[in-house]
Amino acid sequence: MSGINALLMLPALLLLAATFLLPMVRYAWMSGHASSVVTGLMAIPNGGANWQRLLQDARFWQDAFQTLRFAITSVGLELVLGLSIALLLHQPRRGRGLLRAITLLPWALPTTVMALGWRWILNDPHGPINALIIRLGGDSYGFLITPSTTWLFTVLADVWKTTPFVALLLLAGLQSIPTDMVEALTLEGASRWQILRRLTLPLLMPFITLALLFRLAQALGVFDLIQILTRGGPAGSTESLAFYAYLNAMRFLDFGYSATVMLATFALLVLLSLGWILLQRVGSRRTA
Amino acid sequence: MGLLLALLIACLVAVARAQPRPVPIRVLMPASFADATAEQVRDFNQSQGRLRIKVARGPVDTDAMADLAISSLLLGDTPYDAMLVDISQLTKFVAADWLEPLEGWFGNDYFEAMVPGARLGNASDGHIWRLPFTADIGLLYWRTDLMEQPPQTPEQLVVMSRDLQRQGKVRWGYIWQGRQYEGLSCVVLETLDAFGARWWRPAATAPAVDPATGGAAAMRETGSTQLDSPAAERAAAWLDKLVTTGITPEAVANYAEAEALGTFAAGDAALMRNWPYAWRELERMGSPVVGKVGVTTVVGRPGQQGSGTLGSWGLSMLAGGPHPTETAEVIRWFSGPEFQRRMAVSAGYPPTWESLYEDEELRRQVPLLAVERQALQNPVERPPTPLYAQLSDVVQRQVNGMLTRHGDPGTSMARAQRQSELVLRSAAGTPQEVP
Amino acid sequence: MRALLLIWSLAPLLWQLYTSFQPPEALVAPAGAAAAQWTLENYRQILAGDPPFWRYLLNSTVVGAATTVLTLLMAVPCAYGLQRQRGALRLGVTLALLAAALFPIVLLFLALLELARALGLANNLLALSLPYTALSLPLAVLVLRAAFAEMPQELEDAACLEGLNLPQRLRFVLLPLMTPAIASTAILVFLLSWNEYPIALTWISRSELLTLPIAMARISGSSLYSIPYGAYAAATVLGSVPLLLLVLVFQRSIVAGLTQGAVKG
Repeated sequence: MSGINALLMLPALLLLAATFLLPMVRYAWMSGHASSVVTGLMAIPNGGANWQRLLQDARFWQDAFQTLRFAITSVGLELVLGLSIALLLHQPRRGRGLLRAITLLPWALPTTVMALGWRWILNDPHGPINALIIRLGGDSYGFLITPSTTWLFTVLADVWKTTPFVALLLLAGLQSIPTDMVEALTLEGASRWQILRRLTLPLLMPFITLALLFRLAQALGVFDLIQILTRGGPAGSTESLAFYAYLNAMRFLDFGYSATVMLATFALLVLLSLGWILLQRVGSRRTA
Repeated sequence: MGLLLALLIACLVAVARAQPRPVPIRVLMPASFADATAEQVRDFNQSQGRLRIKVARGPVDTDAMADLAISSLLLGDTPYDAMLVDISQLTKFVAADWLEPLEGWFGNDYFEAMVPGARLGNASDGHIWRLPFTADIGLLYWRTDLMEQPPQTPEQLVVMSRDLQRQGKVRWGYIWQGRQYEGLSCVVLETLDAFGARWWRPAATAPAVDPATGGAAAMRETGSTQLDSPAAERAAAWLDKLVTTGITPEAVANYAEAEALGTFAAGDAALMRNWPYAWRELERMGSPVVGKVGVTTVVGRPGQQGSGTLGSWGLSMLAGGPHPTETAEVIRWFSGPEFQRRMAVSAGYPPTWESLYEDEELRRQVPLLAVERQALQNPVERPPTPLYAQLSDVVQRQVNGMLTRHGDPGTSMARAQRQSELVLRSAAGTPQEVP
Repeated sequence: MRALLLIWSLAPLLWQLYTSFQPPEALVAPAGAAAAQWTLENYRQILAGDPPFWRYLLNSTVVGAATTVLTLLMAVPCAYGLQRQRGALRLGVTLALLAAALFPIVLLFLALLELARALGLANNLLALSLPYTALSLPLAVLVLRAAFAEMPQELEDAACLEGLNLPQRLRFVLLPLMTPAIASTAILVFLLSWNEYPIALTWISRSELLTLPIAMARISGSSLYSIPYGAYAAATVLGSVPLLLLVLVFQRSIVAGLTQGAVKG
């Protein structure tokens, strides 16, 4: 009986292995070869030269820093905002369903569709935000053309789009907390804050972890947003690792190095994820 | 009567059908070029019914425009018949086998009637890959009211600038492009040449046969960079010194063409390195220095004319298109003297044909023609390698870093050289021994 | 608080709507200048483009539909089989699926591009649904497995006793009860496929075959000094409306699917 059941899983699992594992294996192989327009896109072994180059590639390390900065800021803000929204949506009120639906709207749109919208909203000097600033008597600000701060606005666009997803996950977690425990604590005279800290957050931890891992992975691979909103500019200050990998393949026609960059990005993702999970284990062991 | 009418209509329809429909030739250009040439293209289409040029307005950024073509070409699709190719992109397209050789239609002596600078960067291995219709070149703009003769060597430039600044006649001596972008690579290239250094050193010949397998050898990058030579270090040191001694503002590390032009146009600089377009811009801006500006070739080695960076644009034919002969005809028209004459007058694009430079009428209408011709006698070319974009990025980073940190040109150039070697090894396989 | 949330979620969208009806002159006029002018010119421009805008919506729908069907066909048996497993195998596979669901898709683009070049799968909307199916499977299997877990074992036992074999059990007993979960999964997969960017970017180059996100990217690329933001806004509105309607109508489904997957996962 279980034989048949296992067999049922096979086609899907095979397809998944082919789609997710094989590329990584292929990238690993390619990273040991020179495969670019110069070699006619044939692979010539180059003895680890791609990795040597990566280690000294200032552009790679700058992009790694920028991507990490983007991811951590973005995910941090989304968790805080998402939790607030989840708490808000958790309260039984009239029109809760409609509110939830509207909250979900930003997440449903393709990134590229709304990124164009953000380019206008943040436009200097004609966009609505600058128009407001000017009317209030200030100077318009180049939101997307000031190298030191443009990344903050990429974070804004990202947070706007993906917070609903985080809020939903956390809402699911909130709904799974037994209400009698909350009532018991309230009867004992605990304040809302204390309930949140002592009961809600610890019980919510698995959901927070899930949301965090999910968002971290997506943020480290940020691509669509960067390509439309800033094209990696100004002055490369918002260029992400995925964007660099894409450029290497599609503009510089250097497939071998592109594979190397992507493998390094994947390794970074795995490291960070494992790091968080270990942190959780250590933390929970201490409180237990 | 009705029958006659019907017969007449049938005849007319048959005649109309028999007329060959105009062959559509799709040409991809950045939006700025498309707009500048729109009127001429319209006239061409209306003047004859055989060919119809359809210009596709690509992204303004030329890299992004090339990306558009590449994404189709990688999938084996040829969405355009011809495309505008920048000189620094050509080797990449050639190496990828995406271009159709043109010598069959134009003959290998096609370029002989062009100025020497325009001949560069269009052909390789006995094949013509592109017909240029404009040849841009780096120039030196100088204030005629502040000096009698423009400087001709880097040393003279420094001396003259310092004198003028000490006398309080001008705020800055020399303005150029120092931001981390392709413009900086152009400046570096010119400076290297002025000190007798080279960025790129092509090797002898590529092996035709792979010694290991006996079959055709995979293409190998057979050139190398020479950024750590003593002369190169002197060139970098000179750029650094310009900033540390105050001849050039520190802000130059953020200057592109527009910012440099702005400072010069306001009268705050004695010398500016820029492209030919700046001349028209000065007039258009109504700058106070108009009428007091001379243009000459950039500074160079003692006793020799300085070499400006060559920037040229031309059309290439994409391989696999359905109408090669008609496309060749369109390309010929785009690079022909009539087209170039109108572009020179309307948009200021320097032409490529010697005959146009000798044309009295044109020389009157385009004052820069004489100095452009002189400069195009010996331009300096950016490294003609498919990996140029990556190599340029390395140099831009190191030199801009040197400018913002104020110093250590030796280390910067050494690092640039090492990273360039890594790029070549990573993308091209083990480098050949260079004799 | 609620009002803030509403404004935060809707303001950018509403502003795009407003912008899409403004003529170009009004957009670049100094703040607070002339009275509001309204025009349909932006929409006309977008709809009359080459190819016309609705084409992109059609392409996205075709790929989305094909992906949804394929994904469901493959995910249902897999979820059923997974639910029936116990112990290490089930935990292992679930974790693997979770890891796959988290994976940033953009990292696969190069390998998939090579695949497209090698097998000639480029510029083909139906072929595009193949990688999309693979990318949607993890989420689909996780959500459907959670739904199968809700099915009481006695129901299936009873059906077994009546002599129904597996396909019949699925078709007549289990799946009808799981319609909400299937609907959720279908919507989620459809949304995922509509929003996908890097794979479509590298697999599709012909302008008449572009999906919506890629078309928006192309539209935004070619412009010069006077950037036609009115037209962009119109494109944004036209591109958003189908999805917004979908979400508003099916929001219960979507939420249920996601929360099920999260809680049981």
